[in-house]
Amino acid sequence: MSNEILDIETALRLKGFNFRASSKVSGYKSGIHKSSYKGISPDFLDHKEYSRGDELKQIDWRLYGRHDRLYVKKFEDEVNMRWCILIDQSASMNYGDGKYNKFEYAKRLCATLAYLLLKQGDSVGLVAFSESDIEIIPPKAGSHFITPILNKLETLQPSGSTGLKDPILKALEAYRSDASFVIISDLLIDTDTVEQSIKLIRNSRKEISLFQVLHPDEMEFDFSGSIEFEDLETAEKVIVDTGSLRHTYRQKMMEFIDHIKRICHENETRYVLSSTNQTIEKSLIQIADK
Amino acid sequence: MNLSFLSPLFLIGLAAIALPIIAHLISCKSSLKRSFPAVKFLLSSQGELASTSRIKDLLFLLLRALILVLIVLIFAKPAMFSFSQKIDTAPLSMAIVIDNSFSMGYENNFKNAKNKALERVDALPDGSFALIEPLVPNNESESHLSESKNLLRKSIKELELSFSFTNNEQRLQDIYSSLLNSPNERKQVLLITDFQKNGWVSEDLSKPWLELINISNDTKPPNHAVSGIELNNINNSTRIQSRISNFSTDLVKELLTITQLDKEEIKEFVNIEPQDSKTTAANFTNDSTSQTATGLVKTANDKLKIDDVRYFILNDKDESKILIVDGDPREDSRLSETYYLARALETISENTATNTTVLDNNSVLDEELSVYEIIYLANIGELTPRFAEELEKFVAQGGTAVMFLGNRVSIGPYNTMLKNIMPGELLTIKEENLSLAPSSSSIFTRDITDRANQVRINKLFNISLHPESEVLIKATDDTPFLIKNKHDNGNVFVFSSTADTSWNNFSITPVFLPVIKMIHDLANSERNKSRHYFVGEHVKIEMVEEKDGAFVIDPNGKEYQMNLESKEFQDTWVPGIYMVKRTGEITDQFVVNVDPKESNLEKISIPSIEKDPEHKDNLVKVFKELWRCFLWGVIALFVSEAVFRGLFS
Repeated sequence: MSNEILDIETALRLKGFNFRASSKVSGYKSGIHKSSYKGISPDFLDHKEYSRGDELKQIDWRLYGRHDRLYVKKFEDEVNMRWCILIDQSASMNYGDGKYNKFEYAKRLCATLAYLLLKQGDSVGLVAFSESDIEIIPPKAGSHFITPILNKLETLQPSGSTGLKDPILKALEAYRSDASFVIISDLLIDTDTVEQSIKLIRNSRKEISLFQVLHPDEMEFDFSGSIEFEDLETAEKVIVDTGSLRHTYRQKMMEFIDHIKRICHENETRYVLSSTNQTIEKSLIQIADK
Repeated sequence: MNLSFLSPLFLIGLAAIALPIIAHLISCKSSLKRSFPAVKFLLSSQGELASTSRIKDLLFLLLRALILVLIVLIFAKPAMFSFSQKIDTAPLSMAIVIDNSFSMGYENNFKNAKNKALERVDALPDGSFALIEPLVPNNESESHLSESKNLLRKSIKELELSFSFTNNEQRLQDIYSSLLNSPNERKQVLLITDFQKNGWVSEDLSKPWLELINISNDTKPPNHAVSGIELNNINNSTRIQSRISNFSTDLVKELLTITQLDKEEIKEFVNIEPQDSKTTAANFTNDSTSQTATGLVKTANDKLKIDDVRYFILNDKDESKILIVDGDPREDSRLSETYYLARALETISENTATNTTVLDNNSVLDEELSVYEIIYLANIGELTPRFAEELEKFVAQGGTAVMFLGNRVSIGPYNTMLKNIMPGELLTIKEENLSLAPSSSSIFTRDITDRANQVRINKLFNISLHPESEVLIKATDDTPFLIKNKHDNGNVFVFSSTADTSWNNFSITPVFLPVIKMIHDLANSERNKSRHYFVGEHVKIEMVEEKDGAFVIDPNGKEYQMNLESKEFQDTWVPGIYMVKRTGEITDQFVVNVDPKESNLEKISIPSIEKDPEHKDNLVKVFKELWRCFLWGVIALFVSEAVFRGLFS
């Protein structure tokens, strides 16, 4: 069961990638993230192959002369960090069949990311939320911790409406020290609430990565004929002639997505639009460094 | 006209109309159901499109349902039908006579009659001949027997309402006679009429060759009309009395009546009891300088408009030409027989234009009398047969002769030569002191009657009166003093005593002038009447040798040239004011009105044809197929549907 949620192939393909915080963090163990504490012994530790984002002044030009490859010297202490993954388990996430189901996709995304983060030595916690239900798994490090996360994800059932603000407040309470937040949701709520929620996290000096998970139907509205739609959260019903409505709907959906993107950009939040027909790898790679 | 279907079984196909409706309902009720997370976007999108979408759906539903209905109806062969006389398939010769008397102008009767006639033309068997005739002939009546239905239809459409009527039985008989030489053995006259009573003499319609169609179901349609006008001149004013008749069984309330004289008009509202008449009076002051005045009296229109107006002509302002023949002239004019008469006429001429000529007994023999309106013969002694004949002719043509009898009058010649115009036979001269008795005649005012006793009479003629003559004033011993006799179109007034003071003091009393004035007005009134005609009457036009001849202009402005041979104008087909033009100038006018007899729309007493059950058996349905109209309808709907689809896609 756990193996179905965890996309092992993707995890293996992304093994060489690091999921970093963009700013310095205060970790409690050594890791890949820059420490905000100025090193007690800032000596040379090791070489590391140059990757994007490394400072040029730290390139070891001697080694370059010998091996014809770029390496950087590691001087500073690098610590691990804590991740809080918030997964939306509202009823609206339960749309789509099989692997294109939004919640299934969100779970796979969550599991794969958690696995990769644990593998790189970080501690990962999980917050599953809806308006009526918030479940928190505190962060822990170690590869073995993937099992309780996967078990938890297995048990989640989407229900209720989307409530973002309360879960974030609770998560912030649980993660008082430095942490990076990952939100996986369709965000089918009021954009003001989205903005307020992001600002809450950013005001706590924490980073956010936001995965907006949408089914292709929601973006393309590729239906035909007259259909009676029932809202997954509010049970509101509406009969529409899909042909005549398609254009207007697409326009409104694009406006909504663009608005969310703008909110993320203004609040220095990494935004990834994850359509359930795209691979987990394609979604994750957008927040990964090699 | 009724709608029917020649293949009604196909109407079962109308059930197909249920298909788009059911499809629409099913699509509404059992459309595919689906859970969806982003319904809020659907709602906001649909809010913009909902109303147009609903209208669009309904429009398409309607169009498609109509297309189905029309297709089914085409297969069911729709047809309009009307009942028509059962027609033998054998060809016949038929005269279709449409009643065009002016009562047919009531509502749509004439139009309906034409439609009936068109139906009958359509239903004529092949090989038949027909002619179209108006019941009331007019100058343009010229119809020919024809086999061409197009020609017959054209003739029907060209028929116009007449403003007159005719002897219907005689006219039908004449029309039937004109069919006798027609090609087919079977001959028939079809009359489409409203059966209005006027024009039917014997009401005998039991002719085997006559078929009747009643166009009006109403047995006594309501109507009101201006049925008469009386014109009176009193001093400086004109009094126009109009008689408005109500032919309905209901009260006519507040009917607007307008009397127009030249550019002036007087309005009045009248109530008229059922089947009664009311006389209204309008007084106009004669301040106009024009000699001839025309006018009309009209009421608010009802369903028969033509009799709601009557025209009149008033020519009292013309110069009256008066001839005074003095039978006893004197050198001292004060002693002359006609001295006081001439003074009285001078006074009258202050209000009314007069041109008085005084001649003696001999001079008058060479005078052309017809140019005068009134001739006064004062104590004429010598009469010649020629003068008597001229005088009789003058009176017959509408002139007024006024005679004063005196000592020069010879009883014998008067009784023989003037016996046709005299009110009685002269007997003896009566010598007695009398005065005038108060007159009971309605033509004299109370003022005259009260002063009658001031007149002293010494001598007067005893006259043995003809029964038709009328005594206007008599002496206290009942001897007639003033007698009136009507002769043809004119009047003769005879005073049994002299105009001077030798036999009486009449001419120097206050009674003299009013009596002369009254005679003057009566003469003018008669003259006015002579210029009023009914539609269809012939009008004598005085012709003198003129270069360009004379023209008569009808109310529609159409000009008719008259020549010396045609002294009668016959084309009085339109009511209104006609003008006579000579050498480019209007020299005379006359008016033509409809005969008010035609205004009473009461019908003749024959049973209604369409209620006759036996007759009903002889009726057959005449169908006119309509599927082509429906086919065009389907094509139009298909095009509309395609256009709408293009617009909404």
